[in-house]
Amino acid sequence: MLHVTIFCFLASYLVAFALELGRLLGRSRASRFVMIGFGLAGFAAHTIYLLNRSQQTHLPPLLASTHDWMLVLAWVLALSYLFLTLVQKELAIGLFALPIVLALVASAYFLNHEPNTVMNAERARRHWGMLHASFLVFGLTSAACGFLSGLMYLVQHHRLKTRHAEHMGLKMPSLARLAQANRWSVMLAFLLLTLGFASGVFLAVAPLGGTPSVNLSDRAVVISGVVWCLWAVLFAWLLTHRAPTGRQVAWLTISGCGFLLLTFVGLQVITGSIHSNSQILPAGGQAFEVEHDG
Amino acid sequence: MNLQVVYCNHHSANLGIRERLAFSRAQMPKAYARLRSEFPQAEWVVLSTCNRIEVYTAQEDSGRRPSHEELANFFADFHQVPLEEFFDDLLERTGPDAVRHLFQVASSLDSMVLGEPQIVAQVKEAYALAQDEAASGPLTNSLFQRALNVAKRVRTETLLAEGRVSIASVAIADFGKGIFDRFDDKTVLVVGAGEMAAETLRYLTDEGAKKVLVTNRTRDRAERIAQDCGGVVRPFEQLDQCLAEADVIVSTTGASPPLVDLERFRRVRAKSGPKAVFILDLAVPRDFEPAIRDLDDNVFLYCIDDLEKVCEQNRLARSREVARALEIVERETDKFMSELYHRATGPIIKRLREQYHGAVGDELARLFSRLPHLKKDRAEIERSFEQLVNKLLHPPLEVLRDEAREGTPHGLMNALKRLFRLHD
Repeated sequence: MLHVTIFCFLASYLVAFALELGRLLGRSRASRFVMIGFGLAGFAAHTIYLLNRSQQTHLPPLLASTHDWMLVLAWVLALSYLFLTLVQKELAIGLFALPIVLALVASAYFLNHEPNTVMNAERARRHWGMLHASFLVFGLTSAACGFLSGLMYLVQHHRLKTRHAEHMGLKMPSLARLAQANRWSVMLAFLLLTLGFASGVFLAVAPLGGTPSVNLSDRAVVISGVVWCLWAVLFAWLLTHRAPTGRQVAWLTISGCGFLLLTFVGLQVITGSIHSNSQILPAGGQAFEVEHDG
Repeated sequence: MNLQVVYCNHHSANLGIRERLAFSRAQMPKAYARLRSEFPQAEWVVLSTCNRIEVYTAQEDSGRRPSHEELANFFADFHQVPLEEFFDDLLERTGPDAVRHLFQVASSLDSMVLGEPQIVAQVKEAYALAQDEAASGPLTNSLFQRALNVAKRVRTETLLAEGRVSIASVAIADFGKGIFDRFDDKTVLVVGAGEMAAETLRYLTDEGAKKVLVTNRTRDRAERIAQDCGGVVRPFEQLDQCLAEADVIVSTTGASPPLVDLERFRRVRAKSGPKAVFILDLAVPRDFEPAIRDLDDNVFLYCIDDLEKVCEQNRLARSREVARALEIVERETDKFMSELYHRATGPIIKRLREQYHGAVGDELARLFSRLPHLKKDRAEIERSFEQLVNKLLHPPLEVLRDEAREGTPHGLMNALKRLFRLHD
């Protein structure tokens, strides 16, 4: 396998973002191709890095470590960005999406790289863990999409209210489409995070071949529970409020999704991992040694 | 080789003259037939739009080509317009100037609205028609194909065609499409029956708007607009009801005081709910009180000044691109002319080479028949003679090529013809 470091794809995404910014000054077909080229190169390096890590830890990236989990989240967002940029060549998706991808990759650098030995030890726990991590990653991806669509809604709304022409390099979808994307993102994020939270609780309390790996009174678990409750309130408001305006929804989504992302990413950075303080060695008592590329 | 264009356009002639000199689609075959019968050796392409009438002529040889006067007479005879009424408006460009002119026209640098996209289609259509009528030929084919390529280069390499510059297009493309994703499920209300309303309505129907309500103090005029777009006329007394139903409102009455004040629109919003409403107040004085735009988050009100400001910004942005576009046109003109001049010297070079190589062939045949023992070295001897011919021809051909960079070297070509007895 190729030797790829975090710096490789972080730099590629950074160049793609700089080119996206440059398109505000003037567009050309060449700059678009170069921008997409850097985006794709970054994505390819990102994928290879995750595969390398998976081989080293003998675990899927979602379960390997908090570091890998965060990179998977960034990977899904980078994939969404590339897909939208290729399909909608006029839209300035990268201006909004790439900073989040960059922030996630950068924060992953500081996270715990140690492989999660619990997941490697027990097959049943590993399956539940996979489900739990997948729900959380896709839930957070939906939340990030909600955050981005909310942000774009507010920028577009401000432009239309202040009667400014559409900036060449800052083309965005219509308010109607953004409001729709906003609403669906919140609903999907709530559903997936609920399932993620529920599977996490199950994982903590179920006797799956060993001692539970997470203490329910853990600070991180409690904070996650509180965040989920806040999301439940936002979801209920969206369902019950009589015809909220798109702008109200956008502000709430930005606040909700932003808070959620900050809490999750912040928690990981501060605690190292939700599961970090309760790791159990496998039956053989042998931990995995992982080479740190970053 | 001769290239020429005789034309009048919006710079040189007023609309009245242009209307009288224009060729309709139905008149084109007849016009081409007449031009061909008078000048059978020439190639023709006629470009006739509302802003320009241009007749392009090209001729490979230096035979009799139509003069400016003859083409002016053709216009006068064909359209039955007295020559003195338009002769001064009819301009002429020849050689590189004619090529440059066509490249500028096709790139929309000569259009009334700088960067407008229709002209490329019109040039393409005119060229296709000339081909159908067998009026174009090798020179005009190269010229028009190159013009279309130049137009494409200008469009992709500069920002000349970026941004909209008409009120209606800015209203719909820059603002309307920023609010709504689609228009086919929206109700459009037209208040008043001004020309601007009709134009905006055309853009909206192009975007798919189907349900159109028209209301006006004078029912006859409302009916005319409704008929054009398949809309429904509503009595003016039902204006509040119509305003509540509409998603897009286009207003052009110009009533004083404003037709819809803040209080009236507040009542309308109470009925319509908080749905997004896009209001285009195209009237002077305004039909909607400006304070309405701050009534709630979903009211988007634009007056004619807002739209004109955007048009002006886009016009300025386009005009900043003119220099870059002209550079492309200039480079392409030079390139095209250079290729054309080289093409003119091609037959002379070919004949000169044929003559020399023919003479070498004859001499070698005579030599080998008299000295048969040389036949074993035949290939080597032939190669030497060929190289000798090439060396002898190199200086005159090099001079010819150099001269052809600046224009067709008629003097040099004639000299070569006489010196080397090159006959057609």
